[in-house]
Amino acid sequence: MRLAPDPEVEKFRADFSAFLDTHLPTPEEATVRSKSSADIPDWARRWQRTLFDEGWLLPAQPPEYGGRNATLPQVVAHLEELSRRRIYHSFNPQGLNIIAASLLTFGTEQQKRDWAIPLLRAEITASLGMSEPGAGSDLAGLRTRAVLDGDHFVVNGQKVWTSGAHDADVLLTFVRTDPDAPKHKGISVLLIPTASEGLVRRPFGSIAAPDDLDFNEVFFTDVRVPKENLVGPLNEGWRVANGSLGHERTLLWVHYAERMDGLIQDSPCDEEWYATLQMDVQALRLLGYRLLGADRNPVEISVLKLLGSEAAQSAELHALEHHGTEALLHPVQTGPYTHMNIEAFTASWFERYARSFGGTIAGGTSEIQRNIIAERILGLPR
Amino acid sequence: MEFEFDDEQRLLQRVVRETVTRTRSLPEDQLWDTYLELGWLEAPPVELAIVLEELGYAADPTPFLATATWFAPLAGRLPRGSGTGVFDGEGRFVLDADRADEIALLTSEGVVVRDGKDLAAERLSVFDPTLHVARVDAPDLVAGVPDLALMGLAVSTVGSCRRILDLVVAHVKERHQFGVPIGSFQAVKHKAADMYVAIERAKVLAYFSALTIAEDDPRRGRAVAMAKAAAGDCQRVCFRNGFQLFGAMGYTWENELQIHLKRAKAGDLLLGTASEHRKALLV
Repeated sequence: MRLAPDPEVEKFRADFSAFLDTHLPTPEEATVRSKSSADIPDWARRWQRTLFDEGWLLPAQPPEYGGRNATLPQVVAHLEELSRRRIYHSFNPQGLNIIAASLLTFGTEQQKRDWAIPLLRAEITASLGMSEPGAGSDLAGLRTRAVLDGDHFVVNGQKVWTSGAHDADVLLTFVRTDPDAPKHKGISVLLIPTASEGLVRRPFGSIAAPDDLDFNEVFFTDVRVPKENLVGPLNEGWRVANGSLGHERTLLWVHYAERMDGLIQDSPCDEEWYATLQMDVQALRLLGYRLLGADRNPVEISVLKLLGSEAAQSAELHALEHHGTEALLHPVQTGPYTHMNIEAFTASWFERYARSFGGTIAGGTSEIQRNIIAERILGLPR
Repeated sequence: MEFEFDDEQRLLQRVVRETVTRTRSLPEDQLWDTYLELGWLEAPPVELAIVLEELGYAADPTPFLATATWFAPLAGRLPRGSGTGVFDGEGRFVLDADRADEIALLTSEGVVVRDGKDLAAERLSVFDPTLHVARVDAPDLVAGVPDLALMGLAVSTVGSCRRILDLVVAHVKERHQFGVPIGSFQAVKHKAADMYVAIERAKVLAYFSALTIAEDDPRRGRAVAMAKAAAGDCQRVCFRNGFQLFGAMGYTWENELQIHLKRAKAGDLLLGTASEHRKALLV
């Protein structure tokens, strides 16, 4: 244990910070807003491309995939620098952090060339087709079917909550390829272009506004998908799912810490919850740093997810109540203006609290996290 | 920063755990001699935290905590025998003052060390009969709680809470109702998971505070306030959920759960509750 920062990490942080100082898009450039999590405005495409070219996009990757072979603590520093300035490296976060990252792990060389690189260079965007009307927390119960017919899979079924699908070029889709196998065993992963015949997307509004369109229903009717779009081995989709989300989950705590830091800045007060918030964010960071160490149980990610999402939500509620009746106003400015991340500051206190439920519902609900902790850390019977 | 134990710290943790398990039934004076022989009283802050967490886990009956974290930081040395410190400005609820060989007093004239016998501290009757707290009558006392005392109490409380959780987990795996172990019910699992998260939160904040003391970092004052407040939050969850999940068996004198519940609660009530330390963080 030591407090002093690792010189290698600090050098990395300083280099990235210097890069940001000179390369960040200016407010004059960044005028067009992103409309969904798979819509990247032109200026942001150029920005992501610059990050890719300079090796600052996914720093853990080798240079040919937009990185510089960074270590995990360096990756944390990268995220922290972005968070501190309240900016994004991509406006298609799932395309970058989940889909491109899993293609780099599980994809063929051709898939990396045809799909991962264009995603990394912001030439195309992607969404993740996992949840279904009947398969949320019980994701392995998914029923969208894919049947091999010659050199194509034929896909029938429905996905839902598919964030950004209406703006995405391709969907990383989890499908059932062996209906007779135990439910975790018969799943495969397909890259399905959204322009495919028989694929229909219907975006629907969030709690924030009817025109806040990110969620989608996606319907597949006899959609033909070339065989070479299979990602990973046939029927090994559950392994890909765990790997894909693993990329995302390992460092998800940085985003909760960012959220909480934002609130510390935006709602200073002398009430007890404000001290609790500072303790929670400090504990979250320490748990995150500890998790970077060797031989920690990866299941401990659930502790960070649960603590981070619930602490953020509790603080957002206190902030909402702190503003009393005024908190009804919407839209209203609640944070400093940052041209790269305009959503964060235009959200009212009410909207911010409502959006905090994304943290406790998406990516494994708090209830599922508690089950995981009880069963896989404490060893309680299923 | 690096926030995991190095090899030596891991080894120390293992030795402390093994020792504490092995010596559980020894009389107090032999326990004390064992701790002295192993040099635990001389441990620097992070290593001391490792020792104290395990002694908290074991509900250590000796005056180790008071000697290492109430006497030593005030006197700037270890006592002859055992010791404690008076730094609340009033001499109320002083840990182990009734049995300490030496007592360090924080006075308007600075720190004065007195013989325990000469002060004749009056032991208070408290809910936990194994807990020694006493009233010390002395002139010119002033307040100034050492960071180490807050860290020590925080990390000991984390140890008590870990013990409560371990006892509860063992119980709900064993105890069958409706034909199944009660630990298979989600309502039970979720209470246990909340205890685990509260413990991990309090644990990292306690060790961070030990680290800031070890490195004399300017953040140490805030770090110990966070550690003490988080330990207080943690015992709230662990007392409530732990007691509840044990059912009527936890309500009995014979069950050892009661000892650890009381230790955990005392850890919050001594030297300022979670709420008081939160307020300290806001100024």
